[in-house]
Amino acid sequence: MKLANYSDQAVQYCEKLGADEAEAYVQTVQTIEVVLERAEIQNERVKKMQGIGIRAIKDKKLGFAFTSSVDKGKMQEACRSALSLASVSLPNQDWVSLPEPQKLPKSPMGIFDKKAADAGAEEVISLVTRAYDEAKAYDERVEIDDGKFSVFTYQAAVSNSHGVEAEGKKTLLVGSLVCVAREGGETSSAASEYDVSTSLKDFSPERVGRLAAEKAVASLKPKAVASFDGKCILDPTVASAVLVQPIISSINADNVQKSRSLWSNRLGQEVAVANLTLIDDGLLSKGIGSSSFDSEGVPCQKTLVIESGTLLNFLYDSFSAHKENKKSTGNGHRAAYSQLPSITVSNLIIKAGTKRLDELISEVDKGILVKRFSGNVRQESGEFSGIAKQASYIEGGEIKHCLKETMISGNAFQAIKYIIEIGSEIRPTQNQTYVPPMLVDKMTIVSK
Amino acid sequence: MITDMLKKSLNKCRGYADLRHQKRDTFAVSVRDGKIEVLSNGIVEGACARVLVHGSFGFSSTTELQKRSIDRMLEDATSLAEASKLKKKRMVELASVSPHVDKYQTPTKTDPKKASREEVVAILKNVESEVRAFSKSIVSDSVTFNIIDDELSFVSSEGTEVTQRIVRCSGNVMAVARETGSIASASESIGAQAGLEVLKDTPLSNAGMIAAERAVKLASAKVAPGGFYNVIFENKLVGLLAHEAVGHCSEADLVYSGSFLADKIGKQVASEKVTLVDDGRYPNGYGTMKYDDEGVPTQKTVVIEEGVAKSFLHSRETAKYYGVKPTGNARAWDFQFDPIIRMRNTYIEPGDHTPEELAEGVKEGFFLKGGGSGQADFTGEFMFGTQEAVRIVKGELKDSLRGVTISGNAFDVLKNAEAIGKDFIMRIGSCGKEQTAYVGMGGASLRTKVLLGGAR
Repeated sequence: MKLANYSDQAVQYCEKLGADEAEAYVQTVQTIEVVLERAEIQNERVKKMQGIGIRAIKDKKLGFAFTSSVDKGKMQEACRSALSLASVSLPNQDWVSLPEPQKLPKSPMGIFDKKAADAGAEEVISLVTRAYDEAKAYDERVEIDDGKFSVFTYQAAVSNSHGVEAEGKKTLLVGSLVCVAREGGETSSAASEYDVSTSLKDFSPERVGRLAAEKAVASLKPKAVASFDGKCILDPTVASAVLVQPIISSINADNVQKSRSLWSNRLGQEVAVANLTLIDDGLLSKGIGSSSFDSEGVPCQKTLVIESGTLLNFLYDSFSAHKENKKSTGNGHRAAYSQLPSITVSNLIIKAGTKRLDELISEVDKGILVKRFSGNVRQESGEFSGIAKQASYIEGGEIKHCLKETMISGNAFQAIKYIIEIGSEIRPTQNQTYVPPMLVDKMTIVSK
Repeated sequence: MITDMLKKSLNKCRGYADLRHQKRDTFAVSVRDGKIEVLSNGIVEGACARVLVHGSFGFSSTTELQKRSIDRMLEDATSLAEASKLKKKRMVELASVSPHVDKYQTPTKTDPKKASREEVVAILKNVESEVRAFSKSIVSDSVTFNIIDDELSFVSSEGTEVTQRIVRCSGNVMAVARETGSIASASESIGAQAGLEVLKDTPLSNAGMIAAERAVKLASAKVAPGGFYNVIFENKLVGLLAHEAVGHCSEADLVYSGSFLADKIGKQVASEKVTLVDDGRYPNGYGTMKYDDEGVPTQKTVVIEEGVAKSFLHSRETAKYYGVKPTGNARAWDFQFDPIIRMRNTYIEPGDHTPEELAEGVKEGFFLKGGGSGQADFTGEFMFGTQEAVRIVKGELKDSLRGVTISGNAFDVLKNAEAIGKDFIMRIGSCGKEQTAYVGMGGASLRTKVLLGGAR
């Protein structure tokens, strides 16, 4: 049976129960994963998961219920539960309606890989072995600690009372490996690497293994440097955590409307350096967050958020869009059927520059390169502070040594005004951002 | 009965097998800026099989609960175990345990199943308006409350058959305050393994006032400076330290990988004032269970006694490897995961000082408040967030600054633990180690030294 038949049935049943409007989102996920622990394959898992989430609205009051079964009886029980919660809720005067149906774009290229969907445990074990062998071959000081390689196959459908009916599928491969290096009684800090992709063809376990090993070896023999304020090169994952996350929070229309964003009244203004351009592209080919529709059944689109440093648009779901009499940007996503849709980036892309990482390094007289950040980032104020791990000290355009017990701190909203250079080597991170390395000035570097 | 069905399937297994079933009933309310944002009810139910054949594990889970799907799941897990044995050098063996047939339930005064949802919504509405009314600077707030009601069954081919019902209630208040050009948020949580009495025993409105007051105070405050300082960790942070920075190093799987405590049993690893415990049966502890997810009875495990490392935390597998008894620390987030070594309720035992006495010993430093999130490496290096840093000058508390991330090696921090307070508190926590686990984290305020990653 088509997945959308289940969501249609649930919507019809809610209407029969007296709902003014209803929406149902059905999802199935198959996961095959292999877990490495203590340098060995510890476990293999095959997981099959399904469920349905139901939003029912009555007199502007909303109830939500979900269940892990699409069995008719259990689904109807969830519909009744959603309606009964709506009855004890309070009316939300801002509620307009669930979205109306719109013509959907074609499914983005390369987001479903049949080979990945058909992969069995054997294929996943071979991904792990390839990463493992590559890490071991890199250097004899390298030891593999743990890791996980997963292949996900998602199917989802959404229907609502206004005639929205959408269904799609996608695949996702995620792999990570943690290595340490040991030499003469010294153990390096744990170095982790990952890859994420929508197809087997574009997924490189070898790269994961090599980079994790390289990072571990490079973090042996760390030395401290005195505290200073200055230049930092942030690796894509670090730039994503430290700079992009507060931006994501600030461009969320819901935060904007609730005064939780420092950019509430900054549309059309300069918020960053002129070389920063930021696009949310829900239709990106092979994009890890791509789909032709969001979890409300609204078409996904390409939204220009920041162009050459100027803030142009916020991201909307249908509720926040209705509040301003605007159209949703197709960002009403949900991670699972058990969650309500909320404004989430699709694929948030920082436009790449032209210089490679080694060219960025050669431009720094005194600074640090940070490959891992372990710390806290305050989404609304942009303040961040944390330990710089796998960090190296740069002097005269060259990496001198790796750093010990070094912390970095600053403010993301200030930092994006001090971006000196944006690198060319863009890569997807696991929070659906595509980020290149970034060279930023005026960071605070603190050591003991 | 689902247990009977699982037992029937078990008859067909080869080697060791255990089957788990879980039904998780959740209720969530969130009131944000005067409006009900989430009012939800969900039931997630499923089963899983873990099979050990020739020293190798296989695991499979499903949300389809017909006999045929359960049999298929067991078959999948078995063939996975058989497939990977060729690639393994380390053969898994399990420490023997005597089979248990038992039932357990979280003691509750007000069973959430009988709760009036209207009443819970009304309480939250009230707290939310109190927080907003606290000050004009508060621009946004949210109050949330969650009930997680787990029914768990465990059956094994060795004859263990345990059912448990674990009920957890928790709430959180978040306040956002704004002054010209600056913004700050603060949050405070409550919760326990208990019924709805949580809302009476630890009123959400108290948490609301703490969050509101702190957000307003911090909106106009500066960021704390960076550097190595004498500090007092508020009791809430000490629980985080116990769990995050020390506890993980005692998990036997990380010990095997060479964690800080790997070669330290019987050695001094902290100041003699420090005794650290991981207790699986702490009353109302968020991580409390009578049996872990391998069907092993939980216990109180002393990890560090008066500064000396005593014991690691074990699953059946690591207990066998290290030649000790399992400690009941194998836990799984839900039926989609196999159990791994996790902490339960981890705490540092209190001392006898008042917070004022602790401050008296600090010439220049900070009283660090409000638990944020934390991470640590198994070398003992940790970082965690703080919400507020109150300046201490010559033993007196002065102005409040915005909290920053603190970092160091936990065992240095504990060697420098000069004095411990008597203001013990057990809090709820959520730990991520490949999968989530609900844990308890406890401690009393403690004086030590740490690196602040702040402004210059």
